[in-house]
Amino acid sequence: MPTSRRDFLKTSVLASSLLFVPKFLHALDAQGVQQLRNSNGKRLVVVQLGGGNDGLNMVVPFRNDLYYKARPTLGLKEQSGLLTLDKDLAFNPHMTQLKALYDQGLVGVLNSVGYPNPDRSHFRSMDIWQSGSASDQYVATGWLGRYLDSNCPACQVPYNGLEVDDTLSLAMKGELRKGLALKNPEKFHQVTQNRFLNKVSGEKAGGSGSELDYLYKTLAETASSADYLYQTSKVYKSAIVYPNTEFGKNLKTTAELINSGIESRVFYVSLTGFDTHVRQQEQQGKLLGDLSGGLGAFVEDLQKSGQLNDTLILVFSEFGRRVTQNASNGTDHGTANNVLLLGGGLRQKGILNDAPDLANLDQGDLKYQLDFRSVYATVLRDWLGADDQAILGHEFARLAGLV
Amino acid sequence: MTNQQQLQHLYWRAGFGPRPQDIAANPSPRKALRQLLHDAATYQPLEGPRIQAAEMQAMTPAPTPDLRQDPQAPALKKGELTPEQRKEQNRQIREAFYTMNTGWLERMASSPAQLREKLTFFWHGHFACRVRRPDAALQLNNTIRRLALGKFGDLLLAVSKEPAMLQFLNNQQNRKQHPNENFAREVMELFTIGRGHYSEQDVKEAARAFTGWSYDAQSQFVFRERQHDAGSKTFLGRTGNFGGEDILRIILEQPQTAEFITTKLYRFFVNDTPNPAHIQPLAKAFFQSNYDISGLVERLFTADWFYDAANVGTRIKSPIELLAGIKRTLGVELQDKKPLIVFQKAMGQTLFEPPNVAGWAGGRSWIDSSTLLFRLQLPQVLLKNAEISIALKEDENDLDPQQTRADRTFRQQVQAKAKLAPLGLLLAKTPEAQQPAALSQFLLQAPIRPENLTLVEQVAQKAPADGRLRTMVTSLLSLPEYQLM
Repeated sequence: MPTSRRDFLKTSVLASSLLFVPKFLHALDAQGVQQLRNSNGKRLVVVQLGGGNDGLNMVVPFRNDLYYKARPTLGLKEQSGLLTLDKDLAFNPHMTQLKALYDQGLVGVLNSVGYPNPDRSHFRSMDIWQSGSASDQYVATGWLGRYLDSNCPACQVPYNGLEVDDTLSLAMKGELRKGLALKNPEKFHQVTQNRFLNKVSGEKAGGSGSELDYLYKTLAETASSADYLYQTSKVYKSAIVYPNTEFGKNLKTTAELINSGIESRVFYVSLTGFDTHVRQQEQQGKLLGDLSGGLGAFVEDLQKSGQLNDTLILVFSEFGRRVTQNASNGTDHGTANNVLLLGGGLRQKGILNDAPDLANLDQGDLKYQLDFRSVYATVLRDWLGADDQAILGHEFARLAGLV
Repeated sequence: MTNQQQLQHLYWRAGFGPRPQDIAANPSPRKALRQLLHDAATYQPLEGPRIQAAEMQAMTPAPTPDLRQDPQAPALKKGELTPEQRKEQNRQIREAFYTMNTGWLERMASSPAQLREKLTFFWHGHFACRVRRPDAALQLNNTIRRLALGKFGDLLLAVSKEPAMLQFLNNQQNRKQHPNENFAREVMELFTIGRGHYSEQDVKEAARAFTGWSYDAQSQFVFRERQHDAGSKTFLGRTGNFGGEDILRIILEQPQTAEFITTKLYRFFVNDTPNPAHIQPLAKAFFQSNYDISGLVERLFTADWFYDAANVGTRIKSPIELLAGIKRTLGVELQDKKPLIVFQKAMGQTLFEPPNVAGWAGGRSWIDSSTLLFRLQLPQVLLKNAEISIALKEDENDLDPQQTRADRTFRQQVQAKAKLAPLGLLLAKTPEAQQPAALSQFLLQAPIRPENLTLVEQVAQKAPADGRLRTMVTSLLSLPEYQLM
């Protein structure tokens, strides 16, 4: 017989099992926050564009004949409202807010970011970007998860890293520490909370390091994190108007968490739908509008609260598209792509490296000029103050003086 | 450890958990193992769905002439499909995979050939492969199922000749003039001998030997002689005009291969932390038996240490083991099978969709805040029709990355039926007050914490008589203890 949601919550054994979370574990959050305060206070917001965003129609080489030759109908013409930047590049016409941020000196554009022997499968390439591995390497942890592992071994709190979603990405899973996924603090709190919680057992965990202890510890951390995030995030409600999109809502949640003083170092948000094999202009234009509008509101929000100087936003996609348009007015899976960096702490702004070389392709695909792990190394070491080599398992040249 | 506990341990490890009637019969673990081996002797292929002929046509010819194309994409002739046809094709491919997936899960829960299905599941993660063509994926799966308990050499050779694997590891691009090393590398690193036991030069030479291993439009293995490099190769210290079969044979001549495979099986069936004292004798016997898998697992399941407390109730169930286990133990049936896919994705393991060729990492990597909360809510969903709401990430099988968030969001009550009568029979002779404890001993492989037992007893007392059993079962399945086997 179906039961109502209310009955479910009342009788939920999930909540009941939280009864047995040892009390001392609940004190961990305070301890964890203390640890985080010793850090440099900088935070990273990663924005993942799922599906393979076409970099060439996002950052358009509009003075390059080869671009129009490869894309006779898909190429964006100057008169269509391109938003000109420097070095003969322009933003897609839908990126007005991002252009405004660019003009304020808050944006850095990296061209042709990729990796050797690129994989054109969405899943595998995203696996590579999220794990930070080489294309012939299989790593079961994510680069941000390993950052959580290395940064604060004494910290117990999973909200060191927050993903605004119902499930957690590989990027946020470390060996020892994992980030925490939540759609919003209310929903997350609701799942873990009920009237039984007040009767939490004082029984101590075995502490033997067994799998059972690990399960109880994860449960305890989840419960106390949900409680802490809910209580803390209640104090700040954003006054900025965000676009009424899923992405806009998720960025609003992120801003509210940041502005209410949550000490997380890493945030992760996704925008999906970039697999534009057909009618690309229409589809990608809308998505880039969502990206631009969402990030515009987000940056304004953080600016108002004085948090922008300590925030770095990194926008990436698993691959770019092929240079030549296909028969359906779209593009197929390609290789190197743009990465955008935004924030008040950027020391170099504007177009940060050479535009893609359309005269020198690898069988029709862009050659990468910058390994994405160099970007990661720079962010890890120079922004978050972490050991990039230990986290990436290899030394990658950092971009000097970027952040 | 009681006979019942040993039996349960065997049924969890050699299959997908005990049914009440398995325990009621109370055979000795040895006798139960003999029965498991006997029941696993028959091979029955998993049946696949039918895809419309026209749509299949669009997915052939298999070896794409354009080597730069997404290796996982179907070999579409450009411009031949309209966006609507493409969408329909994606839908059909997705449905085909879902049917194969739930069909297999069903079989895990109900097949008497528990050991064969369990080993098929093990090899599915070992020879991890992810392709877009359902027919090729199913063919590989049935090849694995057929040889799962035979000689490892036969299995290895057959898997290496499967079109799905050759495509997944780019061997159709491995030609005399332009060798592609991917297949040769993974065969050694992940499938047989393991890192550190071969050189980069060995990879290069092995890749040359595998040139010409390809497949045709009917998903049959083809040796393309003109693409094969027939020259002399030096591999693992041996020199000759080797072909792919020779490479596999030489790999099997290395005792390290037996040790590598035995270690992986040990971690799957016994304990995530390998114990060399247990593994080495097994590996030696495995090697001496010419890699007889059946003999190896029999030896493993009859070892004294298999029933050590350190190996019982100490392994985190994978999402598939958790789901199949609930279905098997409680006879749970869903009216609509689709939610079973949602559950797998939400917990991080979908059949036919391993994350990469290295397979699922397993162990503690299954557990994060989201997956743990989901696991603890699942019994409520299956046994009490509680509503659950979750948005999955974009389709991860390259099947249809354009699905909207609404399409990826699952929010409904699952209509499921459980057969609790056999469980009632198992408890019939136990006084009511002791039933929660007796039930916990059957359902949990890790000893229940005393305070949890008290809670279950309280919940049971409050429940109406006709719903008591269901309430107790749901409570016990919702405990962290149930995540272990």
